[in-house]
Amino acid sequence: MADGLVTRRQSRWVVILKRVTVVIAMLISFFPIFWLISTAFKPFDEWASWPPVWVSGHPTLQNFRIVFFPEAAREFAAAEKGSLDYKVSGSAWKAFGDSALIASLATAFSISFGTLAAYSIARFATGGPNFPFQFLTVRMMPPIAVVVPIVALFAVLRLSDTYFGMILAYTAFTLPFSIWMIRSFIEEIPSELEGVAMVHGASRAKAFLTVTLPLVRGGVLATALFVFILNWSEFLFALVLTSGRILTVTLQVANYVSASSGKLYGVQAAMGTVSTIPVIVFGYLIQKHLVRGLTFGAVKR
Amino acid sequence: MFEQPASPSLVSRSWGFRLRLPFNVALVLPAQLIILAVALAPAVIVVWLALTDWQPTDAIPWYQAETVWFWNFYDLWYDERFVNAVLRTFFVVGVCVAVELVLALGLALLFLEDWRWKKIAVSVIILPMMIIPVDAANAFFMLFNEHGPINHLVSLALGHPFEFSWLSHPTWAMVPIMLCEIWQWTPLMFLLVLTGLIALPQNQIRAAVMLGASPPRIFFKLVLPLLLPVLGVAVLIRCIETFKIFDPVYMLTRGQPGGATETISMYMYNGAFVYFRMGYIAAAALIVLILVVATCLGLAKSVQQHG
Repeated sequence: MADGLVTRRQSRWVVILKRVTVVIAMLISFFPIFWLISTAFKPFDEWASWPPVWVSGHPTLQNFRIVFFPEAAREFAAAEKGSLDYKVSGSAWKAFGDSALIASLATAFSISFGTLAAYSIARFATGGPNFPFQFLTVRMMPPIAVVVPIVALFAVLRLSDTYFGMILAYTAFTLPFSIWMIRSFIEEIPSELEGVAMVHGASRAKAFLTVTLPLVRGGVLATALFVFILNWSEFLFALVLTSGRILTVTLQVANYVSASSGKLYGVQAAMGTVSTIPVIVFGYLIQKHLVRGLTFGAVKR
Repeated sequence: MFEQPASPSLVSRSWGFRLRLPFNVALVLPAQLIILAVALAPAVIVVWLALTDWQPTDAIPWYQAETVWFWNFYDLWYDERFVNAVLRTFFVVGVCVAVELVLALGLALLFLEDWRWKKIAVSVIILPMMIIPVDAANAFFMLFNEHGPINHLVSLALGHPFEFSWLSHPTWAMVPIMLCEIWQWTPLMFLLVLTGLIALPQNQIRAAVMLGASPPRIFFKLVLPLLLPVLGVAVLIRCIETFKIFDPVYMLTRGQPGGATETISMYMYNGAFVYFRMGYIAAAALIVLILVVATCLGLAKSVQQHG
C-alpha cells in the first residue's frame, strides 16, 4: 500500500470528510441503477408521473410479464393504452436465446483462435514486434466506419441478418482482446517449463497443451468471460447487421419504444434489469482481471 | 481447434503440392484470416464506396454503382453537419476524459489506506462499468426525462416546479449524454489509477515524508510523475473508446434535435441507415479511419518515447 502518501497524523475530521466523499461517490454510482430497478417494478401510471415516484407504493411484476410473455402485452394494451405495435409484443425469450447463442459461439471462436495466435506471438514472436499491433488497430477503428463496408460485403455474401454473419463479426472484433489478454498471461509462464517437457520427448504442441495451457487456464477463462460480456453488451453491429430475423438483448431494450404509446419505461427498465444481470455477475467474477482486459493486457495487477 | 499435428509443421496436400507452413504461422493463421475478412476487406470496399454515390435504395449492387470520384469529399468539406459532428466529438472526448481523469485521481487517493468497508466501497463504485451501455443510457434517459428525478431534485432545491426537457434542447442535450459516458467510465479510470498508485515504489515516498515534504508537494512532485505511464495508458484508451461514442447518443437523442447532438458515429449512422447515403458516408468513414490511424500512430509513438 502507498501508505507513505497518507500522513499518520490525520485529524478525525479529515477522515470523516474522506469517508463522506466515498459514500457520495457510492450513491452517485448506484443511483441510475437504483432508478432502473425501481422503474422496472412501477405500475403503468407511475412510469412518467409528476412528481416522479421514487419507489413504487404498489410494486408490480406486470413489466416483467410483458417482457417475457407477449400475451400479457396484448392484455395490457387492451386494458391500459390503445394498441402496442408488433415489435413490442415480441417475446424477450427470442432475444435472450439469440444473444446467448451468438455471444457464446463468438466467444468460443475468439478464445480458441486467440489462444493459438497469442501462444505463437508470445513464444515465437511471430511476424515481428509490430505484428500484434495490427490486431489492435481493428479495435481502435470506430465500428460505424467499418460497418458501412461490412453491410456491403455481407449483402453480397448473403450474410446479413444471419447467425453466421453476426458470429463472424463478433469474433473478429473481440479477437484483439483475446490475443492481447491471453498473450499477457502466457508471457507470465516461463518457457523453460515447455523446454523441460520437450526434453522428455513431448512435441511443441503437446508441451503447449499439457504444460502451458493448464497453467494459464484461469487467465483464459477470465478472458472468455470478458469477451462474453463484450459480445452480450454489443449494440451497434446488432443494430446494423440484423433486420428482424435475429434479435439480441440490446436490440430488445432499444425496441421498447412503440409508435402508438411512446416509450414503455417500465417494460424497458424490466428488460434492462434482467438483461444486465449476467453481465454484472460475470463482471464481478473477473473483477481482478477487468483492468488487464480493458487495457489489452497493458496494465496488470 | 487443438488437434494440431504433433509434427513441427502443418502439411497440406490440397493444392496438389506439398505446402509447408511453419508451426507458429499456422497458429496465427485462423485469427489473421478472420481479421482480413472482417476488417481489411471492408477497408478496401470503403475506398471504392467513397468514390461512388451508392444508395441501397437504388436497387443496383454497390460494385456497379456510379463513380463520382472526389465529389463526396468536396461535399463533406462544406457539410456543416459533418464538420460540427467531428468538432463535437473532439469536444466530448476532451471533456469526458479530463473529467474522468480528475475524478478518478481524487477518488483513488481516498482508497490508499486500509479501512473497514473498503472492498465493498470499491465494488459499488465500479458497478457502472459492469452494466450494459445501452441499459446505462436508458437509465440516464429516465433520469433526465422532463418528469425524471433530476428535475425533481432541482425543483425541490429551487422550491418551484422545474420541468426542463434536457433531451430536446439543442445545447443542453449534450449534458446527459456526456454525464452518462463519464458516469459509466470513471470507474475504469479509477481502477487503473488505483492499480498504478498501489504499485508505486514506496521508498521514495517514505523518504519524502521523512524529509517533511507536504502531502500536496509529494503528490505533484513525486507521485504524479511516477504515475504518468499508467495515466498515459488510461487516457489513451479512454480517448479511443470515447471517440467511438454511439450507444448513449442513440438511446438518449439519436442526434436530435436537428443534428445538435450528433457525434461522428451518430452522424454516420443517420447518414447511412436513415438517409441511406452509403457512398457519401463511406467517404466520411474513410476520412475518420485515416484520422484515427494517424492519431493512434502519433499517440503510440509519444507513449513509447515517454513510457
